[in-house]
Amino acid sequence: MAWPKDVRRGSAWHRVGQLVLFGLVALFFIRAGLTWNRSGIGQLTDMLLFATAAVGLNLLVGVTGQISLGHSAFFGLGAYTSAVLVGQYGWTPGWTFPVSIVLCFAVGMVVGLPALRLKGVYLALVSIALATTFTQLLNWDRLAWLTGGPIGIKGLSYLPPSWTPFDGRADLGKWFFWMSLVVFVICTLIASSMIRSRFGRSMVAVRDNETAAAVMGVNLAAVKTLVFGLSAAMAGIAGSIFAMKLTLVEPVVQFFTLFGSIFLLVMVVLGGAGSTWGPLVGAFIFVYVRDWASGVGEGNGVLGLFEGTRIGGLGGIVFGVLLIVIVFVAPFGAVGLLRKARAKVVRVLPRPPALPTVANAQEPQPPTTVVSG
Amino acid sequence: MFANSFELFIQRTVDGLAAGSIYALLALALVVVFRGSGQLNFAQGEMGMFCAFVASTLTLSGLPLWLSILLSMVVGFVMGVGIERVVIRPLEHKNPGGVLVAAIGLFLLINQLAVAVWGVDPRGLASLFPDGEDDFFRLFGAAVRWERVGIFLVMLVLLALLWALFTKTKIGLAMRAVANNQDSSRLVGIRVGWILAIGWGVSGAIGALGAALLAPQAGLSQALMLGPFVFASAAAILGGLDSPLGAVVGGLAIGLIQAYIVGYVNFLGGGMVLSVVFAIILVVLLVRPSGLFGSQRVERV
Amino acid sequence: MLTVSGLTASYGPVQVLQGIDFTVGDGEIVVILGANGAGKTTTMRAISGTMPRGGTVDFAGHELTKLSPDAIVRLGVAQVPQGRGTFSDLTVHDNLMVGAFTRSSKVTEDLDRWYSVFPRLAERREQKAGSLSGGEQQMLAIARAMMSRPKLLLCDEPSLGLAPIITQDLFARITELNQESGMAVLLVEQNANLALKIAHRAYVLDTGRIVASGTAAELQADETIQAAYLGV
Repeated sequence: MAWPKDVRRGSAWHRVGQLVLFGLVALFFIRAGLTWNRSGIGQLTDMLLFATAAVGLNLLVGVTGQISLGHSAFFGLGAYTSAVLVGQYGWTPGWTFPVSIVLCFAVGMVVGLPALRLKGVYLALVSIALATTFTQLLNWDRLAWLTGGPIGIKGLSYLPPSWTPFDGRADLGKWFFWMSLVVFVICTLIASSMIRSRFGRSMVAVRDNETAAAVMGVNLAAVKTLVFGLSAAMAGIAGSIFAMKLTLVEPVVQFFTLFGSIFLLVMVVLGGAGSTWGPLVGAFIFVYVRDWASGVGEGNGVLGLFEGTRIGGLGGIVFGVLLIVIVFVAPFGAVGLLRKARAKVVRVLPRPPALPTVANAQEPQPPTTVVSG
Repeated sequence: MFANSFELFIQRTVDGLAAGSIYALLALALVVVFRGSGQLNFAQGEMGMFCAFVASTLTLSGLPLWLSILLSMVVGFVMGVGIERVVIRPLEHKNPGGVLVAAIGLFLLINQLAVAVWGVDPRGLASLFPDGEDDFFRLFGAAVRWERVGIFLVMLVLLALLWALFTKTKIGLAMRAVANNQDSSRLVGIRVGWILAIGWGVSGAIGALGAALLAPQAGLSQALMLGPFVFASAAAILGGLDSPLGAVVGGLAIGLIQAYIVGYVNFLGGGMVLSVVFAIILVVLLVRPSGLFGSQRVERV
Repeated sequence: MLTVSGLTASYGPVQVLQGIDFTVGDGEIVVILGANGAGKTTTMRAISGTMPRGGTVDFAGHELTKLSPDAIVRLGVAQVPQGRGTFSDLTVHDNLMVGAFTRSSKVTEDLDRWYSVFPRLAERREQKAGSLSGGEQQMLAIARAMMSRPKLLLCDEPSLGLAPIITQDLFARITELNQESGMAVLLVEQNANLALKIAHRAYVLDTGRIVASGTAAELQADETIQAAYLGV
């Protein structure tokens, strides 16, 4: 049999392939969690938290086709909810997580309401407004009793509870890593099962053709609002954990500002909007490419060149160029690129239809009559 | 007491109009691009900032200020055309969603390029207009600075020039034709790609002018355009993204709102200005989803 | 003047034109007839360069398949697209001006000429094209194409959406233009009877192939073709 080999979706081979892929990714994370050093695990944890927020945003952007540049506000809202409850009211951190989720879900639904009427760049601007307003509220002196104003809230800590196998302060990094991994996996499962459900298919309908969706009886308003809420809740829980890991919140934390929103959107698009693996791949590329690029600026060099040369701004330049190059090389995100590579080896066929198909009848060709002119 | 508060009102109105003029300029730059290609140029502000640095460098090398700014506008034009041809156009065919990420990439690239070339120490750029301590006149008792008047006039002149470009020149006619119907534009022999690129160029030049007007008061740094760009996009959206008139009205309105809020709404304080502006825009958009003067039509993102 | 050979064109994987051959001579009115989906509009777009195509299209010694739409217009091939393609947000006047985009001299002269040929357009000079009636828009589309002083006019279903009496008037105008200036016309039509009355020669297109050709009179006389393809 010649390459590419055909594999039918849902067949044993297809499942084996999926399991192997899943296993390799799981192996990577388990190995990292067990053997990586403290700073490596810390960075990987941040990546997972951004990926979790990106899963939420992916649900919105990729599946309903709505653009949001306001998800930093939900990430920040989650972070501040936990920080305020722990720092100002002495809650146990773990109990603040459900509060964050519910609050972000509710705020997300409310914010989703104007999204019903606005489209494209107009919606993008309203979400930018949300992100900027959030930062301004954090800085607002009249709310300083709650948020700490420009100073923020410091000295948070979330030690692993005694029922966990982690040993207090020494295992803090691992504790946050495993917690983030679990939350990320749960959010991804929720998102991907939603995409496959009837509800999810109705979301795709919303994305592709609003009028058609309305005709099919999909309740657009309900779908969009609900997705906005869920999307916000996922960003919120990621923010909550992020704040506890950081041990502080303050308005200048990049991922609480408009930049955070932009970065999350970059992750979604880099990974491949709408795909299950997209947010993880996108966040991975974002975090590690940015890290590598800033290393270049600090004198690490590129492929052995320029080593030791420190040029201010070079990191940002390299990262900016890479972003542009990546969208050129991978028009449908990194996941799209990987799929294309896979297609050279294996071709996944759709499930066999329930009914046998009638072979396309060859249409009879009309006789060619030429009247001499 | 009355005279005093009236003076204050005039003062704030003048300040608001001056700030609004710059937002209007930058919003016009956004509108010129959006009308042609249906895109929001997120790197607009950074292009302007870069050009202001160019202008500052040129003045330091001894060129007169007006010439430096004019040359920086040429640089802005070339940047705009180049970015459209090299990055945006090829990408739009391949990957429409990627245009946004590419624009963000450009944003970072240009911002950090300015850091690499000029460093992070703040610089100065002289004002085109007299901006010394005593350069003001009194209007109903309020001190109106000449610089503010100058900025306002520049905005009006630019608006007139743009109007002339769009209605009196062949290129302008082609730009309106392309904005209306790209397929038919090809069929009458217009090179649509170049017209769009020229739109980006014009937008780049206007952005450079806006930044050059802003730099003397705000101080020239890499952060010069971050805030103004957000206000300008707000202005463009408030007015309607495809309406030049809307951009001007939106820009002035936002400048005024900003000045009045800072002046009169003590409860909020200066820090919350943007939030209030956005709240107002949100209300407007909910009533008119395409802005005050925008036309309802299909757009790409 | 125009020699098309082996012209192919596809929308994605669907090949619409299977390699067609036809010619338009100097000063001729040639009509391509065919039902919906036969590939008539695709033929027009393939000639004017607004879609990817294969084969060869020779126009007065120039190979059009290698040229972009704007270069083709500059050579003197103007297209009145299906659905008229007027600039709805622009005034009638601006529509005509933009039609002369490829020219720089004697534009006002031509403008006056077309206003006198189509007085209705002169009346509505400052009105937006989008506010015109269907017939007026079709006049505008033709006048706009004429503003480029074409040697060959491509007309894609000008009768679409027009009342028969207006179509007759329109076709009479096209004949006049052809006779006055010797401009060649390639017309694509579903309305075979009307089109054959003004055409010199005709081709019948069916599912992307030329299935019949001849002088207008011959095709009108051939009952088999009339019955099989022209729905008479």
